[in-house]
Amino acid sequence: MKTRTMKFLGAVALSMGLSAPAIAAEAVNLDELLRQVETGRVKDAQEAQERLAEFRADRSSQQQKLANMRAEKTRQENLSAQLETTFEANDVEIFELEAALQERLGDLKELFGVLQQASGDAIGQFSNSITQVQYPDRTAWLTEFAAKMGQTTRMASLDEIERLWFEIQREMTETGKVVEFPTTVVTSTGEEVEKTVTRIGAFNLVADGKYLEYLPETGRVLELQRQPQARYTKRLGDFEGASSGYTPVAIDPTRGQLLGLLVQSPSLSERIAQGKEVGWVIIVLGIIGVAIAVWRWLVLTGIGSKVRAQIKNPQNPGNNPLGRVLKVYHDHKGDDVEALELRLGEAILRETPKFQSMLPMLKIISVVAPLLGLLGTVTGMIVTFQAITLYGAGDPKLMAGGISTALMTTVLGLVVAIPTVFLHTLVSGQARKLTQILQEESAGLLAEQAEAQRGA
Amino acid sequence: MDTLYYYLPFLESVRDFMELGGPVLNWIGLLTLAMWVLIIERLIYFKVGHKKMVSAAQQLWEARPDHQSWNAHQVRYRLISVVSRNMDKYIAMIQTCVALCPLLGLLGTVTGMVNVFEVMAVSGSGNPRSMASGVSMSTIPTMAGMVAALSGIAMSTYLQRKAARERELLSDHLVIKHS
Repeated sequence: MKTRTMKFLGAVALSMGLSAPAIAAEAVNLDELLRQVETGRVKDAQEAQERLAEFRADRSSQQQKLANMRAEKTRQENLSAQLETTFEANDVEIFELEAALQERLGDLKELFGVLQQASGDAIGQFSNSITQVQYPDRTAWLTEFAAKMGQTTRMASLDEIERLWFEIQREMTETGKVVEFPTTVVTSTGEEVEKTVTRIGAFNLVADGKYLEYLPETGRVLELQRQPQARYTKRLGDFEGASSGYTPVAIDPTRGQLLGLLVQSPSLSERIAQGKEVGWVIIVLGIIGVAIAVWRWLVLTGIGSKVRAQIKNPQNPGNNPLGRVLKVYHDHKGDDVEALELRLGEAILRETPKFQSMLPMLKIISVVAPLLGLLGTVTGMIVTFQAITLYGAGDPKLMAGGISTALMTTVLGLVVAIPTVFLHTLVSGQARKLTQILQEESAGLLAEQAEAQRGA
Repeated sequence: MDTLYYYLPFLESVRDFMELGGPVLNWIGLLTLAMWVLIIERLIYFKVGHKKMVSAAQQLWEARPDHQSWNAHQVRYRLISVVSRNMDKYIAMIQTCVALCPLLGLLGTVTGMVNVFEVMAVSGSGNPRSMASGVSMSTIPTMAGMVAALSGIAMSTYLQRKAARERELLSDHLVIKHS
């Protein structure tokens, strides 16, 4: 091919060489041109002859090449056939060998299965166990090992089998121990602090008198945001301080689940917010009720102490309900008994309703608060059922949120009603006492006074 | 506290029971305690203080030369009123306590149910064990409230009737003589 290209390029160069003298010869004359054409023609014929000879020579070499290629092809075909037979033979052999392998693996395959299952179970257990904090790299190895056993093409080495055994044994041993070790703890404020943590078996992590939480997802140790009752945490201090012997300590037998639930329970303000509008109305009513009760109680106690002082000193009527009744008597001493009785009755009737003022309001609040709670419950249930209509009953979490809202208003209603009823009894008792003193005792007091004066 | 539990182990079971019932149970316990303190105070009063009051009132009445004038009637009313006022003390409060016990029980039920639904909201309905604490928190206060109310209801009725009877008796004793 290369030689051909060279020749073609040569031909191009030749024609260029022809045309260049032709242009140069234009200025000479026609004879000159003719001569030039003559020589050129001779030259062309020569070249054509040469090319022809060349092509002829080429053809024989091409035929030679073709023959070579054909020979090559048959050779390759033979080789292919030969390889095909070898492949078939190998295929058969592989099949036989595989059968032999399966046969020989036999019990070993079961062993692989057991190893895979055992390591899989161990991963599940270990990753949720708090001992993971101390030995974080074992699950990665176990995962790799389980994958390897799953392929059943590679044998487990004795070392690996022994390591699996060792890891499971170590977990067992560690579960029965109380150990101290340093690790980073995320505190409730979000800071990462290096602390000496005490691990109680596989149950709890404890540091500085507080329970900790282990998150398997992130592998972090968190301080529980809400700690259990003080009598549980109080013992942790003694427990951490102890170096030998026995110290009582509270553990979470569910390995942190119960303590985890503790954190999720909402705080008081969150609960109050769940009551929504009705809840706020109830709270405002409750505040009004308590304010009324306290105010009336203070007023009635003041009047009561004045009245008691007045009973001891009936001669000088002061500015209090009993005093005003006595004053009526003092002003109309000369009247006859029946007129006096009428005047007294009138004065008492003027005084007694004041004691009862605002008390019906308190009573109303104590009755209305649970009713409002019921209202909140019903509206909450309506919201819940609307949620069910929209999303179906499949998600208990969705429904539970609405229901706890509904219940919260009931709680608030009762929380308001109970002290209001109590305070109402307290205040109305005082009011009744004062009324009784005025209605049943003021006349007696006057009679005693009159008799004393007459006697004197 | 621990040594107290050591020497009186039943207190520990009381504490566990109170914890099982949740915070409302403490209030019910406090209310019941207050109620029974008042009831016992009243019983003692009827046995001791009331007798003194009645005899003092009778002496005052008997000492009077005059038993039939308008003045005498008013003085008699006053004597009866003072005695019965002292008798009626706390009885309304005891009755309120009796009425409040089941109400507090209901409060406990509702807070317990709130707890159950909160657990449900967090962990779904698949974990009955975690809901059990809320259920016990909702049932135990109801029971305790009922029991407390029942224990007080007989006593409060008895005290009320006793007060009414004593008042009648006193007005019978303070005889209006017609000469």
